[in-house]
Amino acid sequence: MLKVLIPTIMLFPTIWLSSSKWLWTTTTMNSFLIAFISLTWLKWTSDTGWNASNSYMAADPLSTPLLVLTCWLLPLMILASQNHINSEPVNRQRMYITLLASLQTFMIMAFGATKIIMFYIMFEATLIPTLIIITRWGNQAERLNAGTYFLFYTLAGSLPLLVALLLLQQSTGTLSMLVLQYSDPLLLNSWGHKIWWAGCLIAFLVKMPLYGMHLWLPKAHVEAPVAGSMILAAVLLKLGGYGMMRMMVMLDPLSKQLAYPFIILALWGVIMTGLVCLRQTDLKSLIAYSSVGHMGLVAGGILIQTPWGFTGAIILMIAHGLTSSALFCLANTSYERTHSRTMILARGLQMVLPLATVWWFIANLANLALPPLPNLMGELMIITALFNWSPWTIIITGMGTLITANYSLYMFLTSQRGSIPEHITNLSPSHTREHLLMTLHLIPIILLMLKPELMWGWCN
Amino acid sequence: MTDMIMPLTLILIFAVLSYPLLKPKSYSKSNNSFQAWNAVHVSFLISLIPLTMMLYKESDHVVMCWSWMNTQAFNVDLSFKFDYYSVTFTSIALFITWSILEFASWYMASYPQKELFYKYLLLFLMSMIILVTANNLFQLFIGWEGVGIMSFLLIGWWFGRTEANTASLQAVIYNRMGDIGFILTLAWMAMYLNSWDIQQIFILSKDFDMTIPQIGLIIAATGKSAQFTLHPWLPSAMEGPTPVSALLHSSTMVVAGIFLLIRLHPIMETNKLAPTICLCLGALTTLFAATCALTQNDIKKIVAFSTSSQLGLMMVAIGLNQPHLAFFHICTHAFFKAMLFLCSGAIIHSLNNEQDIRKMGGTYHTLPMTTNYLTIGKMALMGTPFLAGFFSKDAILEAMTTSHLNAWALTLTLIATSFTAVYSFRMIYLVCLGSPRHKTYETIDENHIPTNTIQRLAWGSIIAGLIISYTMIPLKTPILTMPIYLKLAAILVTLLGIILGLEISTLANKINKNTTPGIPFHFSISLIFFPILHRLIPMRKLFMGESAATKIEKSWSELFGPCGIAFTLMTVATFVKDHRMASIKSYLAVFLTSIILKMMMLKLYT
Repeated sequence: MLKVLIPTIMLFPTIWLSSSKWLWTTTTMNSFLIAFISLTWLKWTSDTGWNASNSYMAADPLSTPLLVLTCWLLPLMILASQNHINSEPVNRQRMYITLLASLQTFMIMAFGATKIIMFYIMFEATLIPTLIIITRWGNQAERLNAGTYFLFYTLAGSLPLLVALLLLQQSTGTLSMLVLQYSDPLLLNSWGHKIWWAGCLIAFLVKMPLYGMHLWLPKAHVEAPVAGSMILAAVLLKLGGYGMMRMMVMLDPLSKQLAYPFIILALWGVIMTGLVCLRQTDLKSLIAYSSVGHMGLVAGGILIQTPWGFTGAIILMIAHGLTSSALFCLANTSYERTHSRTMILARGLQMVLPLATVWWFIANLANLALPPLPNLMGELMIITALFNWSPWTIIITGMGTLITANYSLYMFLTSQRGSIPEHITNLSPSHTREHLLMTLHLIPIILLMLKPELMWGWCN
Repeated sequence: MTDMIMPLTLILIFAVLSYPLLKPKSYSKSNNSFQAWNAVHVSFLISLIPLTMMLYKESDHVVMCWSWMNTQAFNVDLSFKFDYYSVTFTSIALFITWSILEFASWYMASYPQKELFYKYLLLFLMSMIILVTANNLFQLFIGWEGVGIMSFLLIGWWFGRTEANTASLQAVIYNRMGDIGFILTLAWMAMYLNSWDIQQIFILSKDFDMTIPQIGLIIAATGKSAQFTLHPWLPSAMEGPTPVSALLHSSTMVVAGIFLLIRLHPIMETNKLAPTICLCLGALTTLFAATCALTQNDIKKIVAFSTSSQLGLMMVAIGLNQPHLAFFHICTHAFFKAMLFLCSGAIIHSLNNEQDIRKMGGTYHTLPMTTNYLTIGKMALMGTPFLAGFFSKDAILEAMTTSHLNAWALTLTLIATSFTAVYSFRMIYLVCLGSPRHKTYETIDENHIPTNTIQRLAWGSIIAGLIISYTMIPLKTPILTMPIYLKLAAILVTLLGIILGLEISTLANKINKNTTPGIPFHFSISLIFFPILHRLIPMRKLFMGESAATKIEKSWSELFGPCGIAFTLMTVATFVKDHRMASIKSYLAVFLTSIILKMMMLKLYT
């Protein structure tokens, strides 16, 4: 654990002490090294499932894929932001990378925490750098509004969690994830316990986000710079899913009944956000809404609490993390050239950026869950689990897959196909950096296809 | 020994097919390099080895290669099934692709990026082979979606055209609707049978009521095989280049749905509902598509509707519990339908991209070989005795007339058979016969057309039926004795159709006065008014999307969420600020209320 965490912390001196000429190179290089070291987590040696370095931090097969994803995302974010940050003074560049690195530090500690309270603190700590990334480095004036939404939605959801956790501490005497699952089942029967149940989950459902509590997400995504969107879609949302999976163990007797409205809301959200996507004109907003839809499926999978549901949820979280991050990168490549997120203004790009079209195509196929990509494995497992829970859900989930395919290909056709408008004929060609960025997103997706056990080890 | 050879040849085929995919682009103009169609040719020759072995000693092989995923006692393995169906179909698909790719090297010669086009076709072919050789449903699903997405790319090949993009999206959407059924089946099987392996499904399904997964499979087949209600994508798919129509939308991809039902037929055998649905759906499709084909003027659309009609006939064979006849028809149909498309492509290309059959005519003189093959193909399609179509089509119709099933479906199918003859004859009449009605300055030279590729398929259309009927062992004993009028029924209705077609075509030329077309004409030309439904549902969906985006997202959610709260708080805050300055009474009231509330909550909790 510390093998990754300490190098990550050592990124800060690297950022501030390296000469401005080598700033981007050294940080990219170092973060890549960290990402490669983090891959060693995937080799489990312990029998208990926990791979602990001390009593505060440990990794198990549930947190490992997310930890690796976090470490993998940092170099990609640095690669993606190079172009649009380059015009800034060098100290601001350093500041920006520092924010990204601090985000990774917090996230490693959040996913690696063994105490739920530490997870909670880190969960909240990630808000600070994200907020600064959105409100400081966003492009439009609406970014301040987006920042407010982001902060208030998340905090309003997560403060009850603090109270709920303190109550849990009081009744069981511990908040350690290692111990908590072996503690006596709680006697949960009063109204207060039901509120406690909601308090434990709402924070994560807002973070996911569940449909109805999702308004902050499209705003935050649209206004954030590319690195912000990437980390938000890829890892920050998964904090919600991860937290839910950790909490579900303790909430067991109540969840059977209380989860119903949330499952329905999540599934309803899959359809509604899909329909919203069909009418989006804003590219980043479309990708953001598609994230809400996919995470709704994840929420449904987690809330029914079967091994298949959990397995599917983990797979979909990882696969969606890579896919949506790739889509945001692609949206950024056209944003950097046309300076507009409006889809109708940047269409027919296949003629000018042919290789980027390939990336668009693969990323969209991953988004619409083409077999045998891990996205499909995840969706199929969740759909199966939901079908087992209630056969009628197949109508909703089936409609969901149909609409997902619709808007993914609509996005592809609008942005890439068709004749090219005259005002964008002199776009600059893609950088090798952008191709590298896309390759590094898509290679993990394709390789995970071959050994999905790396993701779902927790359920075996 | 055979256990080794079967997978070995499959690996070899994949290796050979992927060679052109991985080969760096060559900029030399020389034509003697190893082309994509050479690769397919070699693969076809390789595929003859397992075919010969299969015909020599009938035996099924299942080869498991790799345990792919396992969770909680649920395993998905990578395994291949080599039985009569997969081995025969692989060979036929390779043979047809070989001809089509060679033809495409002429047809697409003047287009840029034709290398990429071949690569797409090869990728499609590989997904198709994955589909037919798959031994578990997940693997089949990979091939299933693979062919779907390649069809998206290939229909939208001319991506600058809006029609092509629309058609490609339409194909994916209709296929996706079918995929809901597939996903339903996958979910059901995973839940109740705990396996996606086809053999295990067969064994385990004995104890279950399989109606739900069967309906799922039928929905899946409806989407992929363009059966009635999910059919409109197939005629639209004609926006793609003609070689694509020849390969994907006639002989291989569209039969995938039927193939799925054939593959999983044993679970359907004992059920009553599923075959009935298949029978009625198939009969409806075959008549519907044949009716639509009657009044079409686009040469490719006619062939497309005829494909849809024949797919309906295959569905009827499934409904009769005769999957081997459906498979037989898939095989023969592949030859003559691919050939019809290639002939249409050659004619379209020669007439300077003219697709309207009213502006053709007299090609018999200018393109003698092509029209020859066109006629052979049409005759095979009509079921002229001893051509390929006869053996399979006649067998299906015989099986139908001698069974005790649904007379309604039988009537529909017989009418459709007669209509097949009508539109086939109409097309031959308008395209080949008479005097030319195309523009005069078009120079038509048949010498450039690679007619040898069409010829290859023509041989197939002539003898494939005989060969396959000799080698295929029927699952059920066919009824050999029947009254002569039943035996001749298929031929008689076809003859009737030809006479009708002749009459209608000549009559149409002799009418002097303007006649307003009647209701049957509108019925046929407007595709049985289906486009109303086809437009209405997406319209509703998009309107719903709009209201979801504007009314819910931008208004109600904001009102009940952030904006509403902010507004309420602001109102209260200003109220308190402005009106209650230093008013001790209201402070006390607020204090008291909050205390009471807090106590109530404490009471509630403890």
